[in-house]
Parts: sequence; structure tokens; C-alpha cells
Amino acid sequence: MQEKYFETEAENLQKFVDSLIADNFDVIAPKDKDGDVFYGKIDKFIDANLSILLPKVSYKEYLLPKTETLFEYSLSGTDVNIKDGLDMYYGENKKRVIFGGRPCDAASGPIMEKVFNWDYKDEFFNERFKNLTIISMACEKPDNYCFCTEMQLSPESSYGSDILLKRGDNMYYVSVLSEKGLSLITPHLSLFKEISRDRMPAGKDWKKVFEIGKTKSFLDKNFEHNYFQDRFLSCIGCGICTYTCPTCHCFDIQDEGNLKEGRRIRNWDSCQFAIFTLHTSGHNPRVTQGDRYRQRLMHKFKIYNEKFNKYLCVGCGRCSRNCPEDIDIKEIAGDLAGLI
Amino acid sequence: MENIYLPKLAEIKEIIQETKDTKTIRLTINGSDIYFLPGQFGEFSVIGEGESTFGFSSSPLRKEFFEFSFRTSGRATTGINGLNPGDKLSFRGPYGNYFDTSKMKGKNLIFIGGGIGMAPVKSILEYCFDERDDYGKITVLYGARTVGDLLYKNAFDDWRKYKNTEVVITVDPGGETADWTGKTGFVPAILEQLPLKGENSIAIVCGPPVMIKFALKSLEEKMGFDKKDIITTLENRMKCGLGKCGRCNVGSVYVCKDGPVFTAEELENLPNDF
Repeated sequence: MQEKYFETEAENLQKFVDSLIADNFDVIAPKDKDGDVFYGKIDKFIDANLSILLPKVSYKEYLLPKTETLFEYSLSGTDVNIKDGLDMYYGENKKRVIFGGRPCDAASGPIMEKVFNWDYKDEFFNERFKNLTIISMACEKPDNYCFCTEMQLSPESSYGSDILLKRGDNMYYVSVLSEKGLSLITPHLSLFKEISRDRMPAGKDWKKVFEIGKTKSFLDKNFEHNYFQDRFLSCIGCGICTYTCPTCHCFDIQDEGNLKEGRRIRNWDSCQFAIFTLHTSGHNPRVTQGDRYRQRLMHKFKIYNEKFNKYLCVGCGRCSRNCPEDIDIKEIAGDLAGLI
Repeated sequence: MENIYLPKLAEIKEIIQETKDTKTIRLTINGSDIYFLPGQFGEFSVIGEGESTFGFSSSPLRKEFFEFSFRTSGRATTGINGLNPGDKLSFRGPYGNYFDTSKMKGKNLIFIGGGIGMAPVKSILEYCFDERDDYGKITVLYGARTVGDLLYKNAFDDWRKYKNTEVVITVDPGGETADWTGKTGFVPAILEQLPLKGENSIAIVCGPPVMIKFALKSLEEKMGFDKKDIITTLENRMKCGLGKCGRCNVGSVYVCKDGPVFTAEELENLPNDF
């Protein structure tokens, strides 16, 4: 779609979001909770916290829920009755908007979409993704953990967003990037004033501190390098890096219930847990925490890249910000780029 | 719209108690077999107890059923162990790649199995027996820790009936019984006693990692097999089987989609992550 550009007063943006809520959209936005900020459903615009850099956890759960029912079962004698989980998903509210997320989070959707659609198509993911409209807010001040610029994005990038907002003086510049975005604002066009592209503020020149291509080159040739075993001795294997990550998508499948009725579910899992790869025989291909963090780096910067020609990382820095041992992936990716 | 995680229901036709803790289960879906190729695998489950990954152990050309073998060890397999003929099992598959029989045609074949690793070997072995004229000499070398740990004992005599076929069964030293008439010795050691040459031959090797390691060494160094002509399978832990859940990769390879069948040459190019 040809991009369209608009201006809107801050109070009109508020009216727009409040009308979406009135129109029965689930609007998910950064929201204060217990002294922290998480994405959550807001009942009115002013519940959104648009002043923080990033919510603690990404909005991955709106694409890949922490727990999702694949099917429900009931058993009687040798008869098995199965109720398709996809049918249950169709009962959810499909009108869902993510409002006020950052460009890094927006990029995670199309990145995960590739995994869920090579060969076998995961319609749980696809249905959620299709029905999600993303209104992102460009960043003005990334912090020291941020490295989206190194990950082929930027604090202002539009990849994955349907609408991108840039803050002006008590107003916002609005780029409408997709049909989905356009159909969302079309009923509310009186709140927006269309402008030409040259009226939009110019993007800043964001500086990179390392080249991710060099990180990959290092990983290509140095699987057995001592760096991995030494650097991750302090890792306690808690898995918070994968939990808060917008693109970590590894999952487990479990049955929950009894021998009469229950459900088969998929849950978020983590490559940082020893049990993740443990064989029945007792053999484990990844014995140390170094082996496991190396896998996380390999998956993000090499394995995914070789299949899909992008990286499985948006540079949001959440894994580092939330790490109890302050293991900083930006610093590590930079170290590896420098070791080549 | 298809839910790729939705299983089919298979009915148990027959259960064979192979050893103290392993069984083979023969299944049909709607009264018939399914389409698969030797080397492929499926996700099997007692609904309510979770899925497990097993390779097929029957020849797909034997149409009356499809089968897999398992050892009872955790929650899912304990559930399967409790089933009886007529009970239902949930099944997803077939998944993964398969043994390339076009490459095997006209060649001498050596099938090497260790313990329950014989399961996928049995599938391709019996497939080759079912089209016996397409292949040269067939040698089967199968070993287990003890006589009591050998699977498929009922099939050994059937295998021996095929022309130009040698079947060698061995148990680890100390695993023999008083009336044991087979060989005694580790699989790689017995392998070296067999008059095999790499020329015009393909070797298929499945078993515990340590057996594979030494069998590959013997095949390559003592018998002159090319790495391209040695085929094995990786048995990584899996959940989805569909290239999504992210747990089976070895380097950039997804064992569930790019494997589980690999040549020794392909294995050599993988990082030591399996």
C-alpha cells in the first residue's frame, strides 16, 4: 500500500483511541501495574502509560499466548471426543489493537510469522496475527541496553507496524503503513489531517556500535570457542531472557487434565532450561549453561538468519534489562563481532 | 483451516511384548494403514498423558498395520504401556525425511542396529526385503546389552529366509545366557569380523551414540566406506515435529524437518550439539 501521512492533535489521538474502545476493540497498551509497566487492556486512553521506554515484557502473548489450548478432549470407554482449539479461538474478540508499543516490538510479529509458516502453517498464530492492528510510537531516547539499530531496525522504524506515531509539540505525526491501519482510522478521519510526505519530520541518523553481520561470522566458525563457557558461568538459567523476549517462541506441548477430560496445551518454554533438550536415555546435548546461552545466540543471530535472512532479535534489550546477573546481550553480540 | 496439532485416532490391533520394558504396538487408522516412508516418525500419545516421538518400525509396504516400538520410562510411555488391543492412541505424522532407497538400489546393504535403535532399521530392512530383488547382499547386525534386551526376536527367522541374506545377532559381553547361540561382543567389534567392503555398499546405522561413533569409525577406517554411503538417524527430543517448537535443532538443522535421517558426511558438518 502507498503510505499515507497525517497530523493529529494530542487530544484527537485520545478521542481516536477512546472511540476504538467504544467500538468494542480490545486496546492493549503499556499500563501501570504494581509499580511496573506491562502491556494490558485499557478501558480508556488515559490508562495508557506512554511516557516509559518499554513495558517490562513484550506483547508476544497476544500472538503466542503463555498457555494455549490446542484441543480439548473427553473420553468414555474407548471413545475419544476431540474439540478443536482453533474453534475456541474463534470465540475470542478478534478486534484487537496494540497501542503505544515500540518499533522493536512491532518488528517481532513478522519475524515470528516466518517460523510459524515455513511448510506447516500454524493457524493459531496466523489468526491472532491477522486480527492484530499495531499502532506504534517511535522512540526518542533509547537507553544503553537498546540495540535495535544494530538489528537492522531503528527507534523510528516502521517494520511490522500498521500505524506509526511520532510525537511532535502537543501533536503527533501519523504514518499509515498498511490497509489494516487505514481501515482502522478511516471511520475517524475527521480527527486526522492528511499531509504530504515532505511535511513529516526527517528520521535521525542513529549510530551503530557494532555490525551484527560480524557477530554472525564469528558464530559461523566458533561453535567450540571458550567465550561461551567462560562468559555464561554466571548465568543461573532462570529463563527470564526468553520469557521477556518478543521473538523467543520455543514452546512445550503438554496434556492437562485426567483420563476423562482435559486439554492439550502449548506453553512457553525456554532453551535456558536443562530439561529442554534432555533425552529419555539421560543424554543431554546441552550440558552447561554456556551450551544453552550459546544456543540462544546461535538461534537469534545464525540459525534463524540462515533460514529467513533476517535476525531473530529486535534489539529491545529486555533480556539484558531483566537479567538478574546483568548478562547484556548487546555487549555480548558486540564482543563476538570484535573477536572475528 | 487446519489445526496442525490435532491428532488422528489410531486403533491398537496388536501389542507385542518385546522385552521386559519394551513393546511394539501395531495400529490402524479407520481400519487401514497410513502412508509413510522408512525413517520417518510420528507423535504418539495416550490422550491425557502427553505425546512422545517414535520412528516407525514396520515396512510401509506391509499394508495391514503400521507399528512403533517403545520403552516404558516416563509418564507418556507409562500411559501407552497400559493400553490393550482395541484401545485408541492419538497420532500425528508422518514427519521428517526418510531413507533414500533410490540410492540403495543395486547395492549391498548392511543394517546395523543397537538396542531399541533397531526400530527404524527394521522399517527400512523389511522394506528392502519386500522388494528383495532390487538390492544386492543384505547383512543384518543387531546387538543389545543382554539376550533379554533384544527386540524383534520373532522376526529373526523370517529375515534369515530371504535369499543372499546374513543375520548376525550379538549381545554385549556378560549379557549372554547359557543357551545363547548368537555372537557375544559389542556391535563395532563384531562388525569388524564381518567380511564387508565399502565398495558398492550402503550402511544404515542406528543405536546409542557410543555405538554409532565406533561403528562409523570401523566402517570408514577398516572397511573403506565413504561417509556419503553411511546413513544414520538422530533422535533428538522433540515436541511439535513441525519445525516450530525450537528444541531439536543441531546447528542450523531442524532434526524434525531436515532429518531425522542423515549421512555420516552430513553429521560431520554439524556442530557437536547432539
